Amino acid sequence: MHNLRTVIKFETVRTLKKKSFWIAALAIPVAGALIGMIIYFSNKTTSTLSQQLTQAQYSVAITDDSHIIAPKILSAIHTQTVPSKQAGIDAVKNGQLDAYFYYPQDISKGNVEVYGKEVGLFDDSRYQSLAQDLLKQSIAATTNANVRAVLQDRIAYSATTFKDGQQDKGFLKLIAPGMFLVLFYFMLVTFGNQILTSITEEKENRVIEMILTTIKPTTLLVGKLLSLTLLAFIQLVTILTPLLIGYFILKDQLSLPSLDLSSIPFDPLAITLGAIIFIISFFMYTGILMTLGAAMPTAKEASSFFGMVMLFTFGPLYAASLFISSPDSTIVQVLSYFPLTSPIPLLLRNAVGNLTLPEAGVGIALLIITTIIAIGIGVRIFKFGALEYSRRLSLSEVIKRKN
Amino acid sequence: MDTETPLITVDHFAMRFGKTTVINDLSFTVRRGETFGFLGSNGSGKTTTIRALLGIYEPSGGTLYVGDGPYKVDGTIKLGYLPEERGLYKKENVISTMMYFGQLKGMSAQDAKEWSLDYLARVDLEDKAAVRLDKLSGGQQQKVQLGITIMNDPDLLILDEPTKGFDPVNRRLLMDMIEEHQKRGATVIFVTHQMEEVERLCDRVLLLKDGTARLYGTIDEVKKSFGGNNVIEIVSEHTVPKNDKLYTIKHQDGKMVTIEPKADMLAIQRSLTGAGVAYTRFELKQLSLDDIFLEIYGTESKEGIHA
Repeated sequence: MHNLRTVIKFETVRTLKKKSFWIAALAIPVAGALIGMIIYFSNKTTSTLSQQLTQAQYSVAITDDSHIIAPKILSAIHTQTVPSKQAGIDAVKNGQLDAYFYYPQDISKGNVEVYGKEVGLFDDSRYQSLAQDLLKQSIAATTNANVRAVLQDRIAYSATTFKDGQQDKGFLKLIAPGMFLVLFYFMLVTFGNQILTSITEEKENRVIEMILTTIKPTTLLVGKLLSLTLLAFIQLVTILTPLLIGYFILKDQLSLPSLDLSSIPFDPLAITLGAIIFIISFFMYTGILMTLGAAMPTAKEASSFFGMVMLFTFGPLYAASLFISSPDSTIVQVLSYFPLTSPIPLLLRNAVGNLTLPEAGVGIALLIITTIIAIGIGVRIFKFGALEYSRRLSLSEVIKRKN
Repeated sequence: MDTETPLITVDHFAMRFGKTTVINDLSFTVRRGETFGFLGSNGSGKTTTIRALLGIYEPSGGTLYVGDGPYKVDGTIKLGYLPEERGLYKKENVISTMMYFGQLKGMSAQDAKEWSLDYLARVDLEDKAAVRLDKLSGGQQQKVQLGITIMNDPDLLILDEPTKGFDPVNRRLLMDMIEEHQKRGATVIFVTHQMEEVERLCDRVLLLKDGTARLYGTIDEVKKSFGGNNVIEIVSEHTVPKNDKLYTIKHQDGKMVTIEPKADMLAIQRSLTGAGVAYTRFELKQLSLDDIFLEIYGTESKEGIHA
């Protein structure tokens, strides 16, 4: 293993020198920034238009058979009077009025009729908004502040639940341990193909014989695995740093919700378990992908099997509600212990707090065993498949084969 | 240096892939500091033997030792191996690839860099150090690969078809480098079909055919075992009769007959004339490895006789 550091350095540095690595890493924050800018300018434009709309002077006439609309409000917007409903409609038709609203006697049964001069697809809705506002403001004016708050949906609620006599933090408690689930998803989706490419590279470039007579295959593969892990974290930091900086700078401009870290509970046990499951799961899948890459002559061929691995990994997400509501059901137990499917159930159940310590222990032990087996088979396949430049090896062949 | 002690000992080596036997009971040694020619036709098992020797393949039978035991990548014997199947990290530049291998072979980063730059200057690639390998020509890539092979002064240099892809100028450069390592005391195993190079560089040779050693020894020993150093080539329309007292017929190919003389040329000429054999050529030639190859591989073309 004395060459491990050399392998890690070589594999890491050469990947960091690749443009594709930085394009992949920066694409997400750049896309985030672009979306943020679009939202920002859209909000700004909407706000400007809204102000213009508010300040715009309409020539509006109203017929109020419901007698709900307050005369005080009508005088504030300088409404005109028309002798009849038909006269109002005609006045809009011939351009004498911008809009005419008809409020029927019983607004719970009849439609409020809105007639307006065409001012463009997006702006045509302003007449209906005004008719609606007049109605809301008139009703609000007749009630007290509490009723107004209910009507305007401005009531704030605070819910407190208790578990074992202690105040429960609800969904907030999912954030810290749930972070590992997000990280796992991200790492595998963004790095899966890179693992396959890295493992098949020596074979594809015909450099394998020189490598195998210079270093042990285990050293090479472990070096690659550690290098890929390091690169994955570099990529994650590259993505998260600009996103977080952008969040704190543009939070107000983009009307983003506040992130109050002090309200997020940090359960050390759940976080530790989440971290352990995440790290071992990542190594296990890296080992599996490594085995897949070693058995295939090219990364292209290996990638066709990559989808199958992803199906096993993320398939359990379809049963996510079961992991939360029925942790003791057979299907949840099977998916939690079968190593290929277990990372998602274990991480999710740990996040929602229904993964017991013994269950976590068994799950982690199975993951470790599978990781060791996967890496062991990967090294064996890598050695035996090293000189198979155009053919893929079957598992039975690897197990039986001496050469 | 103890040149009699073998660095490589292959003892009753056998290799089978499924039901196919590639090597059947092969034994030989390579002494420390000698240059050993490993020869044979396509599929004769040379590359398989070398892969088994270097631990890439596990032998089906027998033992293959480099020094005191099977070859270990982290053992004491420094290896320089130029495989027949060649390639490098194509997307990497020349200097970082050379430095990587240099460090894997135990050199410091600084030493590997200095050595690589000196080597590149020697092979006229000094301006290519920062160039990606896939931007180099095939011959230039071969030079880089050769450089990687001889980095860190290997104790054992195994060169499988080293001249493949080299033009005559670069072939000369390669031969000079091999000679330098010979003089330094390195043990060299040379797999080639360039017989003149084998005759020039090798102390001993082994010729594989059908998974077994057909010839094994010094060049002189091989030639003697094949009938001595000299032969006579006769071109005649007539059949050259047998004459065990004066010569032995070694090879006949159409009008060309090769005989091994047992008497002087004049006596043989008289005998042939007396037997009514008219010839257009009667020439004494020194037996070459090429001739021996042609003899062993019969009617196979010379192009087919290689590693």
